[in-house]
Amino acid sequence: MSYEMWTEKYRPRSLDDIIDQEEIVNRLKSFVKARNIPHCIFAGPPGTGKTTAALCLAHDLYGPGYHEYIMELNASDERGINVVRETVKTFARTKSIGEVPFKILILDEADNMTSDAQQALRRTMERYTETARFILIANYSGRIIEPIQSRCAPFRFTYLPEEQIIKRILYIAEQEGLTITDDGVKAIVEIGGGDLRRTINVLQTAASTGKPIDEETVYSVVGRANPADVREMMLTALNGGFIEARNKLRELLLKYGLAGSDILAQIHSEVFRLNIPERWKVKIMEIIGETDYRLLQGSNEEIQLSALLAKFVEAGEAIRRG
Amino acid sequence: MNIPWTLKYRPRTLSEVIGNEDAKKKILEWIRQWERKPPKKRALLLYGPPGTGKTVTVEALANDLNMELVQSNASDYRTAEAIQRFAGRSSRYGTLFGKRRLILFDELGGITGSADRGGLREITKIVKETGSPIILIANDAYNPRFSTLRKSCQLVEFKKPTKTQIRRLLAKICSLEGIEAEPDALKLIAERARGDVRSAINDLQALAQGRKRLTFEDVAWLSSRDRKEVIFNILRRILYAGNVSGALRAVNEADVDLDMLLEWIYENLPYHIKDPGELASAMDMLSLADVYRGRIAATQDWRLMRYYIDFMSAGVATSWSRKAHGWTPFRFPSRIMSMSKSKAERGRLRAIGLMIGRRCHISADRAAKDVIPFLRVIMQNNPEMGMGIARWLGLDDEMIAYLKSGG
Repeated sequence: MSYEMWTEKYRPRSLDDIIDQEEIVNRLKSFVKARNIPHCIFAGPPGTGKTTAALCLAHDLYGPGYHEYIMELNASDERGINVVRETVKTFARTKSIGEVPFKILILDEADNMTSDAQQALRRTMERYTETARFILIANYSGRIIEPIQSRCAPFRFTYLPEEQIIKRILYIAEQEGLTITDDGVKAIVEIGGGDLRRTINVLQTAASTGKPIDEETVYSVVGRANPADVREMMLTALNGGFIEARNKLRELLLKYGLAGSDILAQIHSEVFRLNIPERWKVKIMEIIGETDYRLLQGSNEEIQLSALLAKFVEAGEAIRRG
Repeated sequence: MNIPWTLKYRPRTLSEVIGNEDAKKKILEWIRQWERKPPKKRALLLYGPPGTGKTVTVEALANDLNMELVQSNASDYRTAEAIQRFAGRSSRYGTLFGKRRLILFDELGGITGSADRGGLREITKIVKETGSPIILIANDAYNPRFSTLRKSCQLVEFKKPTKTQIRRLLAKICSLEGIEAEPDALKLIAERARGDVRSAINDLQALAQGRKRLTFEDVAWLSSRDRKEVIFNILRRILYAGNVSGALRAVNEADVDLDMLLEWIYENLPYHIKDPGELASAMDMLSLADVYRGRIAATQDWRLMRYYIDFMSAGVATSWSRKAHGWTPFRFPSRIMSMSKSKAERGRLRAIGLMIGRRCHISADRAAKDVIPFLRVIMQNNPEMGMGIARWLGLDDEMIAYLKSGG
């Protein structure tokens, strides 16, 4: 039996297979029909089908051997614009031999490039516009510089509606012969949060237990995947354990690679669930807000968040004193 | 609990003193001569770089030979009268219980300036007439100030123990402390100490105390340019300054990397400041300092540096009441230790992430965040599926083993 990640196994091959994002798909299909595409920006949250749409477009345009006519680059994986420029040069210089007179370069996470790098990219795009088309993929189109935006057709991807995600889960479950309960589906949808890649990863991980997939199975595998816990860190601090809480924070930042702002967002949503006097919840919120602002200006996330933990220690002591 | 390891693992007998076999032999021969009659040179002058074992050798010797050690250091004998009081009588009479005396003048280099001019002369006089053996210790025996004194002394040089000798000592301490230490980690500490055993032991304590394991990655970052003695000194001066000007002076007088200094302060604050309110204020000051660090980076306006310094030093110093909690050793910034460790770990994750990215059309970072945690769980739940996916991704054995280990 052969195995692969289900995100790949069930990735649509053709524009016809794509669920939802109807408007986008129709526009892309019209490009295929015309045998021509402009430079494009695909913007939207993770797991909403941006890369899939680009690959399907290439498939429908060039046929099953489309791999020869496209190149995928990930801006976060490449060190510096020079790598991108050189790769693009070599790739775009040679003309395409098929009936479509250009090749496609898919540049993922393009919004992670500095504005200098984007300027250089803009020049490259212009120079090779005869022989190559660019599809830039980004979470936020706002982080793409204006001169590039004005040269590209924009496509805005949105989170998939819940019923589409449920449909996809049930489809995969049927193909794989899984037993899945209604609350299991609900839990996966909840954890996936509209991100289809994450949704399918959770489903496959839950399926790997070999047990029927219910709510409990789902939460237990997700809990094992992300053991470091923001709530526990907060409780440790409130109970006076600054050094211990600081170590937990470090683990979240370094080992699990969470961003400071992500941790702060979780702290924010946890505060209301803490068993502390109501007025303290609001007081703590003020401290969190200030930390959020300092996080934007500061240079060291751990120090900013540790300062917050020290305030938690102080608050915990005051709460215990009544 | 918090006693310095240099004290805890001080040699009890001569054989425990590492290195300097020649010096130890010479000292023993000289002291044996005293059993018959005072030798021609009634004093030994031990000299050599700091941390080579001069003082501990004398202490171990007195212990081995059951002698009473009468010792004092420079701060105690700055004047001729004080020296006369301390050593004059000791040198002429035996002890009440017939134990032989060994007189030790440590830190001879500490006698300086005109006020102490009489001090060296007095010591020279005592050396000539002493009835008990006298040992003098200095870093540099050939300092011109000692020229007269030197003539009455037999010189014994202490050399720096080798890296191997220091490393073995560190290994012994680790095993007594129940710490499993990688040989390479101890090797690096030993190398960095440059023959100074005391500093090597202090480093080891700062890095390893309270831990079960010490890996090379834990100590690899040590090769930073700032000497830790300098940092310890500044740290103490900042934390315990109690006022603005003292704290600022401590920073301004030292030439250290400010970002690193901030890390040191950040690491050590909670071990010194126990009151929650005071700790919160001090941490708030570090947070403000960091905000200015960020503003400097954003604007490239280095004039803002002064506020960075103000908050991390004066701000912290005035945040607390300086209640001491016994001897608290300074600790190396563990954040930096974890960062260098997680740098290696991130390297491994990135390599695996790149492989996943190639198959799943995502970046290595996203793969590390979104796929690897699930892949680990799959490997535990269903080894067949896990291995199948790993092969499909093209992961090598080492990568698979790393994922299985749970990182």
